[in-house]
Amino acid sequence: MDTRLFGYINWSLLALMLLLYLTGVINLYSASGTRLDSGMTFSGFYQRQLIWGACGLCGMVAAMSFDYRRLRNLAWPFFLITLVLLLLVPVAGKSIYGAKRWLSLGFMSIQPSEAAKLAILLITARILSRETQPLGWKNFFSVIGVAVLPCAFILLQPDLGTTLMILLILTGMVLFHGLRGYVFKTCLFLAPCAAAFMWFAGMRDYQRQRILTFLDPGNDPRGTGYHILQSRIAVGSGELWGKGFTEGTQSQLRFLPERHSDFAVAVFGEEWGFVGCLILVSLFCLFLLGIFSTASQAKDRFGSLLVVGVFFYFFWQIFINTAMVLGMMPVVGIPLPFISYGGSATVLNFTLIGIVLNVSMRRFMFKG
Amino acid sequence: MKLLNNAVAGIRPEQTPPGRGRFFRSWLKIQMENEGYQPPLSGLILLQICIGVLFFVLITRLWYLQIQRGEEFARLSLENRLRQERIFAPRGRIMDSAGKIVADNRTACGLALVREDCRDIPATLTQISVWSGIPSAQIWEKYQQDRLKVKSFEPILILTDISFELLSRIESEIYAWPGLEIVVRTKRDYPEKDIFAHVLGYVAEVNEKEMGEDSSLATGDLVGKAGMELELEKRLRGQKGLYDVEVDAHGRALGKFLKKEPRGGHEARLSLDLSLQRAAWAALGGEAGCVVVMEPDSGKLRALVTSPAYDNNLFAAGISKRDWEALRTSNRFPLQNRVIQSVYPPGSVWKLVMAALFLEHGISPRESVSCSGQVKLGEQIFRCWKQGGHGVMNMENALVSSCDVYFYLMAEKLGIDKIEAFAKACGFGRATGIDLPHERSGLVPSRAWKRRRFGQPWVRGETYNIAIGQGYTLTTPVQIAVYVSALLNGGDLLKPQLLENDARVVTGRLPASDRTRNFIVNAMRQTASGGTARVVARGDADMGGKTGTAQVVKLKMAAGDRRLRSAEMEYAQRDHAWIATWGNKSGKRYVVVVMVEHGGGGSTVAGPVASKIYDHLFGLGTALTARTAQ
Repeated sequence: MDTRLFGYINWSLLALMLLLYLTGVINLYSASGTRLDSGMTFSGFYQRQLIWGACGLCGMVAAMSFDYRRLRNLAWPFFLITLVLLLLVPVAGKSIYGAKRWLSLGFMSIQPSEAAKLAILLITARILSRETQPLGWKNFFSVIGVAVLPCAFILLQPDLGTTLMILLILTGMVLFHGLRGYVFKTCLFLAPCAAAFMWFAGMRDYQRQRILTFLDPGNDPRGTGYHILQSRIAVGSGELWGKGFTEGTQSQLRFLPERHSDFAVAVFGEEWGFVGCLILVSLFCLFLLGIFSTASQAKDRFGSLLVVGVFFYFFWQIFINTAMVLGMMPVVGIPLPFISYGGSATVLNFTLIGIVLNVSMRRFMFKG
Repeated sequence: MKLLNNAVAGIRPEQTPPGRGRFFRSWLKIQMENEGYQPPLSGLILLQICIGVLFFVLITRLWYLQIQRGEEFARLSLENRLRQERIFAPRGRIMDSAGKIVADNRTACGLALVREDCRDIPATLTQISVWSGIPSAQIWEKYQQDRLKVKSFEPILILTDISFELLSRIESEIYAWPGLEIVVRTKRDYPEKDIFAHVLGYVAEVNEKEMGEDSSLATGDLVGKAGMELELEKRLRGQKGLYDVEVDAHGRALGKFLKKEPRGGHEARLSLDLSLQRAAWAALGGEAGCVVVMEPDSGKLRALVTSPAYDNNLFAAGISKRDWEALRTSNRFPLQNRVIQSVYPPGSVWKLVMAALFLEHGISPRESVSCSGQVKLGEQIFRCWKQGGHGVMNMENALVSSCDVYFYLMAEKLGIDKIEAFAKACGFGRATGIDLPHERSGLVPSRAWKRRRFGQPWVRGETYNIAIGQGYTLTTPVQIAVYVSALLNGGDLLKPQLLENDARVVTGRLPASDRTRNFIVNAMRQTASGGTARVVARGDADMGGKTGTAQVVKLKMAAGDRRLRSAEMEYAQRDHAWIATWGNKSGKRYVVVVMVEHGGGGSTVAGPVASKIYDHLFGLGTALTARTAQ
């Protein structure tokens, strides 16, 4: 490998990612603490997150080790394998909380819907990279058409959150690439119709219930509204300076549900207050800006679209998760990158940043 | 794959490494786009807008939650984790006039089981059965009953009020039984039980209604429900303290912080004398009846006994349904405080009121009446208690021998309206104002009352009955005591005081001159020394008295014109026996009123009770010589 490449790495993006990841680990230490009458006990989430981070770093290095342009060749095979795995889920998957999302490989379980995100990201980047002009109807439908099948499978698991994520990443990439004016206007008109169709045909009762509860959380304070109420109390009670590290009563005394996964940032808000949150949100925005700059510097359309896909992958997770924790959106099971605990998510996040770094370091590798 | 790749427009194949398979060739092939690629400007702007919106929305929302409404959420978070636990303030103790404790606070130890810490619940419960001797089935039942009411980390009380011996045994072995703990609670304790039950009343858990009336009360608080415990509630209660208890989402307590110290209630000192109270209780000897001992000058009550009574500790501990039913349905009415709640016809004791009335209305004490044993009024015959009559009677003789005929005739002269007005002015027909709940006022009948009650006019014969304290007239024993005290103390109707330190309260003036009062006091003295109240006479003290026998049912005449003797009648039909007395030994004056329900004659049943009480008040030795001298 050309050692010059190291010089081109977007080091600030890497540093920001590691900073966010370490913030997440420190926050997880506190979020995994439980105060009992005998004192504090800590479960091992933060330790495991450290191990997953190490795995993620390996994934990142691996993702940087080859020329990203080779990925374009992998897009279709990867997509087809993912589709097969998704087809296997209803047949051989195991059921958790009434949803079949996992495939058991004996020694570990995998979630094909996670792989589907990456597969769609790659395939969309590949398809769009052929087009030099804004999309007309024909190309628009070829992009949508590729995504329909995996999305349908995932929706049936049922996993509304992942389906939405895929569609949102797709939308982001398509909008980045550009649409012809008439296509854009028609889509804008049809979006409410699609939402209505989702509500009546695509959603399960509990999913509708979540949205209704979000609109009026006080309606059911002990049931589905509990998450939203307790999360808002946790964040709000942090006030300006926060309650202090490991001093968050909402989390230590277990009022806050899912405090190490989806609601981890509520723990952060409670303990570090508005000041801490301001810093964290700024870090995330700088992190996104780092990805953005790579996208803008990329010297080929495929690389640029790849980075934009990763950008939206992170953007929507950050947006949806924090909006949910802050009580601006219904509860959907979407974690906050680097802050929420999660093994495969951490590895995937690191790997995706690896791809971005890959694009950034090879931005001068073009034949003149 | 290759076909697909080649089909892509605007991309040219490059760097095809030699000598590998088709698949690998296609994988290793890097396709490059035209140089000079520039990302679409609109797309880049879109990304920047996204970042800007994200930052703006999140910071605005965080500002709103953490700064704008931060205090509100901080309070909600505090409410989430802090529960307040009260600390019971010790209730003020109650003592007798000499400072002996009659209502105390005692620590009671109980044994409780914490499910979560208990390794083997059946074995532990069996061990409790071995210790306590209570069958294990019963303990198991109690455990099953309470199991669902408390959380797994909260104690379930299995044994309450463990004896000291058992406690020390359990304490020495409890280390082997994790999950068991000894709980200490304060309990109200009434060492004198029945003797003070009606005066003290009892405490029990507060009910909804009481909580509605007093916002400082909460479920589980103990409040006075009867007697002085109820009357002095505010004074005895004290102020609860508070703990802030930190709890987690499951309600488990993690730590306690003292927020407010409890303040104990004030103690109360009764005017009652414990030893006199015991003596009066003993003197009644289990008969249904009551005793009032009052100091005529101060209005202080020295004894207030009603019998039968109940053990008020039962109520303080939470009375069982069976015990409650037994008390409620008993035909001897142990829940009734006879001194203030039972109304009886006063019988001949009433003649003390009538004589005062006569004197105040100008009837000369020398004016006499001939008693032939009966008076005819139309078809009706009104008899004197003494068959054959008393002969010529003036007022004093009539009082001393309790001649009915004298009072029939004199009362008729004055009429019911004057009797009514006078009796009411003497404090009858209204409550005396004693500091005990549920006092009854008795009844002084009148023309208006009769019309209201029966829709009939007053008839003369009824005036005859009223004259000798029969018929509609109803009094409580404490009213009699207040009246007799007023005769002695210069005419002040006093509020009977139960508290040692309360000041004398005058509720009215007896409408009788000094002469009138002295005459009646003297007549009582004569009655005690040689009349119907001889039984209380003693050599060492100046004594006075008046007996009474109140008919429960209309006079039953046996064959001939003789009244039935008590022994010949059913218990419930026997007369009530009264005696109202006073005694004065070297300046110490007492009024003693005794009433024995269905006791028969006043002198034979109520008299000895009063006599025994004077033995206690004035000493036993001289009393005996006095009685033998009779």
